[in-house]
Amino acid sequence: MKKFLATALARGLLWQFAGTLLGAGLVTGIRALMGLSVNDVFFFTEPAWVMGGFSGVIAFLLGSGAVSDWVKWARGMDTPEHHEEPYSGWEKYFHVSLDHKVIGVQYTVVALALISIGGLFALIFRTELAASGLQFLTQDLNLFGQNGLQLYNTLMSLHGMIMIVSILLGIAGIINYVVPLLIGAQDMAFPRLNAFSFWIAVPAAVLLLMSLFLGGFDTGWTGYPPLSVRAPVGMQMFFLGVFVAGWSSILGALNVIATVLRMRAKGMNAMRMPIFVWAAIATSIIALTATQFIGLSFQLVMFQRLFGMGFFDPAKGGNPVLFQHLFWFYSHPAVYVFVLPGLGVISELLPVFARKPLFGYRWIAMSSLGIALVGFVVWAHHMFTSGMNEYLRLPFMYSTLLVAIPTGVKFFSWVATLWKGKITFPTPMLFVLGAIVVFLLGGLTGPPNATVSVDLHLHDTYFIVGHFHDTIFGGFVFPFFAALYYWFPKATGRRMNETLGKLHFWLMTPSFFVLTFGMMRIGLLGMRRRIADYDAALGFDATHLALTIAGYLIGLSVLIFIYNFFASVKNGEKADGNVWNSRSPEWQVPSPMPAHNYEQPFEVVGEPYDYGLEGSQYVKFIAPAKSGHK
Amino acid sequence: MSHTQDKSSALGQGVMIFVYLAVLTVLEFFVAVTFNAISILLVVAVIKAALVMYYYMHVYKLNNDDGTDEHSYQFKTGTNRIGLWLFLLSDAFVFAGLMTMRINLLGLTRPHQLDQNLGLAVTAVLLVSSFFMNRGETAMSYGDVKSFMNNTLITGILGLGFFLGVVFVEWRLAAHEGLIASFGNPAVGPLGGVFYMMTGMHAFHVLTGLIFLGIVWNNARKGLYTAEKHWGVEAATVYWHFVDLVWIFFYPALYLIGKAV
Amino acid sequence: MRHFVVVGVLVILLAGLTYIGLDTIGLMPDAASAQSIPIDWMWNWQVIAISFLFSLIIVPMGYSLFVFRRKKGDTTDAEHIEGNTALEITWTVVPLFIVVAFAYMGTFSLGEVLRADPNAMVINVTARQFTWTFEYPEYGVVSNELHLPYNRQVVLKMESMDVIHSFWVPEFRVKQDVVPGRVTEYRITPTLEGSYKVRCAELCGTSHAYMENAVIVASQAEYDAWVSEQQAIAAAAQTPEGQGQIMAVKNGCVGCHSADGTPLTGPTWFGLYGSEVTLADGTTVTADDAFLEESILDPNAAIVAGFPSPSVMPPYQFTDEEIATIIAYIKTLK
Ligand code: HEA
Ligand code: HEA
Ligand code: HEC
Ligand code: CUA
Ligand SMILES: [Cu+2]
Repeated sequence: MKKFLATALARGLLWQFAGTLLGAGLVTGIRALMGLSVNDVFFFTEPAWVMGGFSGVIAFLLGSGAVSDWVKWARGMDTPEHHEEPYSGWEKYFHVSLDHKVIGVQYTVVALALISIGGLFALIFRTELAASGLQFLTQDLNLFGQNGLQLYNTLMSLHGMIMIVSILLGIAGIINYVVPLLIGAQDMAFPRLNAFSFWIAVPAAVLLLMSLFLGGFDTGWTGYPPLSVRAPVGMQMFFLGVFVAGWSSILGALNVIATVLRMRAKGMNAMRMPIFVWAAIATSIIALTATQFIGLSFQLVMFQRLFGMGFFDPAKGGNPVLFQHLFWFYSHPAVYVFVLPGLGVISELLPVFARKPLFGYRWIAMSSLGIALVGFVVWAHHMFTSGMNEYLRLPFMYSTLLVAIPTGVKFFSWVATLWKGKITFPTPMLFVLGAIVVFLLGGLTGPPNATVSVDLHLHDTYFIVGHFHDTIFGGFVFPFFAALYYWFPKATGRRMNETLGKLHFWLMTPSFFVLTFGMMRIGLLGMRRRIADYDAALGFDATHLALTIAGYLIGLSVLIFIYNFFASVKNGEKADGNVWNSRSPEWQVPSPMPAHNYEQPFEVVGEPYDYGLEGSQYVKFIAPAKSGHK
Repeated sequence: MSHTQDKSSALGQGVMIFVYLAVLTVLEFFVAVTFNAISILLVVAVIKAALVMYYYMHVYKLNNDDGTDEHSYQFKTGTNRIGLWLFLLSDAFVFAGLMTMRINLLGLTRPHQLDQNLGLAVTAVLLVSSFFMNRGETAMSYGDVKSFMNNTLITGILGLGFFLGVVFVEWRLAAHEGLIASFGNPAVGPLGGVFYMMTGMHAFHVLTGLIFLGIVWNNARKGLYTAEKHWGVEAATVYWHFVDLVWIFFYPALYLIGKAV
Repeated sequence: MRHFVVVGVLVILLAGLTYIGLDTIGLMPDAASAQSIPIDWMWNWQVIAISFLFSLIIVPMGYSLFVFRRKKGDTTDAEHIEGNTALEITWTVVPLFIVVAFAYMGTFSLGEVLRADPNAMVINVTARQFTWTFEYPEYGVVSNELHLPYNRQVVLKMESMDVIHSFWVPEFRVKQDVVPGRVTEYRITPTLEGSYKVRCAELCGTSHAYMENAVIVASQAEYDAWVSEQQAIAAAAQTPEGQGQIMAVKNGCVGCHSADGTPLTGPTWFGLYGSEVTLADGTTVTADDAFLEESILDPNAAIVAGFPSPSVMPPYQFTDEEIATIIAYIKTLK
């Protein structure tokens, strides 16, 4: 306990708490001097909370020590290029570390924690939906200043956003851990920035959760004004949280691009990069640029609330639909941020378990870029009913349909990779195969949404909810689990338990089909999104009950995974060699990975996926180049 | 860092670019007050931006050959440069977003409450500051710390002037003319919100730029930079010019384009 | 070769079965408008495409997993096949054609949905948290129910008083957001008599789930009867309580306050007048004229126990007479 309180995490949280009070107190003091009101329903006034939330984040960063090197630089002091890791064992994960592998694990574990919290919220509101009529989130419930219906909306909205943040952290975790290893780098290009990107996500998550206790907000994860202008203070904490998490994502992406551009091993030209690296680049291009738009759109609503600037207020000449454009300009490309790394994992692992080269490597690499770029010009397909210019809907329909082509290329190539392979089915492969099927269903339900006339019916129904749970599970959740099972031995030198892994898979997959097929079915028949209660006359009770049970089973399977994950760190079967018999460079050295990655640098001498080609080699280790090392 | 030109011709180039930029700015102003052709304003802004990016921000340095030794200062500077430019690219999207908002909400109108002469004045101040920043950086690349510090000091003072000018003069004048950020005032429509948001966001970047300049100035004073190793100076310079670059687009967007209402 | 034949047959079989299966269950609710025909037509083609493309991927994949799985004891790698340019071009170009076809069909079906009848009847719709109000300018009728004559195009001119709502009747298919500060249009030609519900499809706050009003499609004769009945009510409502009722409908009060004791977002008005109301701070007051007036003009002045604070009820501005009529109406609800 004492050791824990001394960690950067504990210190940061403590500082955040103090910083929040300090900032809020400061504004309250100033308001008192100016003769303005000083307290409100949730003790502080809204401006005080906003300032408090903001200063809390700054305090967290100072307290945890994530910025101390930069402060030293600014003051003209020098810092060692690599800190020697002062902590070992579990402790090192709770301190600021510059090692990309540690940061990767930190990201991953926080992502798992957030999936659990977001999933728990889903289970709570799913329980409410198990039958029509209100069960326990009733009108006269009063929790955190919200009645049952409001609490439903808050939980549902937070479920959405916390899950999305957890995805961003999850892919950052995989990318951080894997990309430097795949390209033969010692670390990311900017290790301090990397640590900063991770640590700033922690206070962001705290802010998001704080919103639950400050009256919540009832806008969904999209936060459309004018509703979000009227919501309680919780809304502001949500905006701030997303804004801060956005910076984590932007800076992380910057780092990935710089790393891949500059730190590749000798001989690794663009067409010899492992395919996952292509996916990471495509994702990062989107995250680097588009993310600014969600930050800006939320910032504008924040200012509208604080200063009455009427950006989105029609009474003041503002335009509510403008918000939707700004918001979706990020949030559509964001969905490709979620899936591209996942699809990269699929492409990366399939050849290993099919023992066959990746079919059509170039086209797959290009399709990632294609999806990313086309993804920038389709955003208004979320706004077909929004009242924007009627004719603008057509170009957005066409551009959206186009995304099917590069995505299709991936699917066909995967099938061709499996064709005539010699396929084995360890747990990571099961999740890869599950991912393909599930993502296919999600993807194929995309074009109907993209077709304006049909979307007029589908928009804001559970059909859409089904569509995106399919794409997100297929594009992120399944590949994420596959990646964890696959690279776990690399990080720990031990394997996860296969039996539990298979149980996880066989419990999760069928339940998941029940969940999304059920969603789509009732969605088509008239089930709207984001409602706490539904008309019993629609006859959806039985389906909803099945959905709830399926949700619980998925939750159970995730719990099994979490148990397996932590238990295997200590007790898993030892596995320090090339567990999967892969050609990838990281498996050519013993596990767990040494602190500074490859003791000997390697040179790329062949194609990455030449399975079945006699005598071919991907990498060759060479003697370390003599250099003026420090 | 290899010098392809000697010190005095580098200075001469700085002066020339400054003159170009100044002339173009005056042209812009003239176009706006006489016949109001948006296309000309756009072309001028793009030319100005290209000049700043090339001659002041040295975007071509991204193409430098940095050698292959990953531990050399040169290689690391190359990586840092990429990082910085990626950051600027990302940041540019914030301003693009603000611009989108401006076009959507105001269309071909602009706030009449703004004082044209004041706008030209703050623009000029920022432009001159860029000139001195460029001189400072050039001095540093020849190892002349003293001259670097003097020039940076002038830049900083001008930048501070710009910042204070916007926040304490321009904003107050505008508010006085009735352009308030509409604390519940429907009369000015979205004009106030857009104006304060755009200038405010830009001023915030000026402020961070000033802090950055202060840091490198102080470190130069401590003698941490040499002709070969002064990445911090280069970064601060490029960032400062980037803030200028943004203003090249924001100035016409707020002061020059369209009808004053 | 044998592999390809088997897979080809299985693809067609699975695609056919999937489509027939989905078609038999019936995926869409009743189609009750002319606009749902092009939409359902388009959707049907989507289902066909989904069934086919799904099988096209799943069958060869499943086949590979089964037929090409690693045999026991085999430790060698599989055949070294890197790619096949002709194949790759095919699976880029063929989907491109499908996409172009869908783009064309999508444009066509949207055109059908938007087809405007110049003689369409206009109805003004007001959306507010959490109810709909329909005004028939031709007849001077205001109602919380949408009555439509069979087989005549109507155009709804929709406005929101507060946040974004969305007008959706699943049986009509089409959906349109209602955005504050602008008027959006919604065209529909009902083609199936019956009673439906307009369900607000855009999250609009606490009681979004309950923002459902009745939609009744009836024959012209029945519709005309309803109109004259409403006109009669409006004419008869020269009493204060009658006017109060119309006020309560027009201003959306009935969206949150029921007249018969059903719990909605706000406390019911049934039996309210003269009763003892417990407030959130524990005190009790008698619901007399003064209290009701205060509650209407400044909902935050006194919060009723069990309801959130700040009050979700929007503040209203009424003249004294208007308030008096509303109170008179509330008095009648016993
Ligand atoms: C991981 C995330 C992810 C992914 C990958 C996608 C992928 C796609 N999405 Fe989805 N989408 C979401 C997440 C995602 N979506 C979310 C979260 C929302 C809701 C947001 C909210 O409102 O809260 C949403 C909502 C959404 C809408 C708005 C619906 C509405 O609210 O009315 C639309 C409309 O066009 C859409 C379309 C598509 C399309 C066309 C694709 C395409 O990329 C799919 C391409 C894939 C395939 C088509 C399958 C494989 C291809 C072939 C086998 C080739 C042959 C195929 C053809 C020729 C058709 N999505
Ligand atoms: C990563 C993305 C992701 C994931 C994984 C999920 C997972 C789930 N989602 Fe989610 N969902 C979204 C993203 C996601 N969702 C988004 C973006 C929305 C839109 C929100 C909006 O409209 O604004 C949404 C909306 C949404 C709705 C619609 C709500 C509405 O419109 O009213 C529903 C309804 O059934 C639902 C259900 C579920 C269920 C049952 C799961 C299950 O898979 C959950 C399984 C459970 C777990 C994974 C938790 C397991 C762990 C534990 C139980 C341990 C807990 C212990 C501790 C905390 C220590 N989701
Ligand atoms: C968005 C929902 C909503 C709307 C619309 C609404 N109310 Fe209310 N009303 C409430 C809620 C919730 C309360 C209880 C909390 C409170 O006292 O403010 C309430 C309380 C009241 C009370 C006090 C009731 C009591 O039991 O003591 C009166 C009277 C009242 N409303 C009248 C009106 C009138 C008249 C209108 C329309 C002109 C209206 N309301 C519209 C939600 C609403
Ligand atoms: Cu109105 Cu939802
Ligand atoms: Cu989208």
